[in-house]
Amino acid sequence: MKSVKMDKKSHRSRSNENCSCLIEDLLENAKTDDHLCKVGPNDIEVFIDPDPEKTSYNFYIRRMTDGLPIIPPTRDRVLKFMEYTDRNPDDLLAVLPPRQGKAIIEKIAINSVMAGCLPQFMPIVQHSIEALSIEKFNLTSVNATTHPVAVCTILNGSVSREIGASSGDGCLGPGNLANATIGRAVRLCLINIAGAVPGIGDHATMGSPAKYSYAFAESEFESPWDSMHCERGFDPLTSTTTVMAVEAPHNVNDHRSKHAEELLETISHTLSTPGSNNSHVPGEVLVIMSPEHARTISRDGWDKQDVKNYLHENSLVSVELGDRGGRKLEKKWIVDGNIRITRSPNDVVLVIAGGDGRHTMIAHGFGTSSESVTLPILFKDGTPVQSVHDFKE
Amino acid sequence: MKVKVVEKDVLNPLAEIMMVKEELNPIPYDFESVSLLDNTKPGANVILELLEKNLGKRKFVRVKKPAGSPATIKQLEIAANSEIVILALGDCGSCFSWIILDAIRLEKMGRSTISICSDRFLNFAHELAKSHGAEDLNILSIKHPVAGHSKEEIEEKTLQILPSLRYLLQIP
Repeated sequence: MKSVKMDKKSHRSRSNENCSCLIEDLLENAKTDDHLCKVGPNDIEVFIDPDPEKTSYNFYIRRMTDGLPIIPPTRDRVLKFMEYTDRNPDDLLAVLPPRQGKAIIEKIAINSVMAGCLPQFMPIVQHSIEALSIEKFNLTSVNATTHPVAVCTILNGSVSREIGASSGDGCLGPGNLANATIGRAVRLCLINIAGAVPGIGDHATMGSPAKYSYAFAESEFESPWDSMHCERGFDPLTSTTTVMAVEAPHNVNDHRSKHAEELLETISHTLSTPGSNNSHVPGEVLVIMSPEHARTISRDGWDKQDVKNYLHENSLVSVELGDRGGRKLEKKWIVDGNIRITRSPNDVVLVIAGGDGRHTMIAHGFGTSSESVTLPILFKDGTPVQSVHDFKE
Repeated sequence: MKVKVVEKDVLNPLAEIMMVKEELNPIPYDFESVSLLDNTKPGANVILELLEKNLGKRKFVRVKKPAGSPATIKQLEIAANSEIVILALGDCGSCFSWIILDAIRLEKMGRSTISICSDRFLNFAHELAKSHGAEDLNILSIKHPVAGHSKEEIEEKTLQILPSLRYLLQIP
């Protein structure tokens, strides 16, 4: 029980707006003169939280969920999220296709509540939604495509560590509140704001488990190289969110390579996949490398650019297999009878994450049809957010 | 004593829609030039070639655009040199989206358009056009699927849409 509202019939001369009576007092003291307000014991409304099962089902049959239960988005809960943004509830961040839904702050907060986010995650979700509205991300196609592309959210900087986003053991799997719910909040925003409802605004032939939630942080302190946001020109202390349109990740298990080149050879072979969008319309790929793999490469003196160069040069498919994709293969992509799956080394988006173990994950992108976007987490005056507690000051 | 238990309201997660209205261009009564905007999806060229053969002696301009992403400004400008632009082919999610959105961009440039989408995506194409303020955009449907079929099969499907196309273009 959260609040007590007065019955209108009991209104006489005193205001009830500032009532701070305890429910127990109201029940025990029948005389209304004992109270600041005019409420009596016979006219009490007790407000309770909605039943999550009922709300989840009601929302589900209206196609407003991902199928999993949700936290009912009551005004109380949404207001807590508003404490972690310096925007007004009706501030318009973007218009999201295909439904051309207005992404106002309040709607982003409502969907974040539903996803199970903590209020402190609001700045991340807010900026992630802003990022995927940038033109080069091509949300129109990312939402509408028959391809199983999902939106991966990659976090960098102090805010990601402060909210406990996982960059370590199992960071792409279950078990971390921030990763699980931030990725889910992004998806629910796509469903309810953009209209990416399966079969209506999202035409994925089969979709992907990655469309439920797909978020993690980079393990910046385990990386032998610059982290992704620094590589993209941001200060190490600036927190960022990067959205990238990619398939679900595919593992590269290599426990035996002792040197950079042989390990990268394994990774490039996994990347060289006919049937991926990259195989006929080259574009970005996401390479999530474990710290152990990264150290194996680094100790041979290879820097991050060397890795990107190698993977660009050596990840390719034959023209015969490449030209079976949706879009006609353009001659400009053909080199000696092959197609590189990336247009340049910069298309290799290399991030270090994961716990102990000798694995790398690769995720093919959406080809030339989408570019990843990195945005800094900022106050509306342009100042970087160093801590979510800054919103309270 | 009476205690009324009330469930708190939940807020609506659905966004309001940005309402816009685009002015569409009527098909000219008589026309000399047609641009055929090919998004390079399998079969799009077959459809457009057959339509060209069946639209009489006119000036035809072939333009290619990427499927699944917007046409470049240059591609649109070339296409817009003709009086009418026919766009093909919207037979998947991202390609029908950018067939429709590029058609709207051409309509904004003052050109009449006819978009060709497969019947499985026709309703979605209309919904997308509507959400972008172009409810009455000309969209013709061809029987799905087109990709993975022989030239002869695609031509047969194309012939089925010819009467509708002629009707839209007001030609015998």
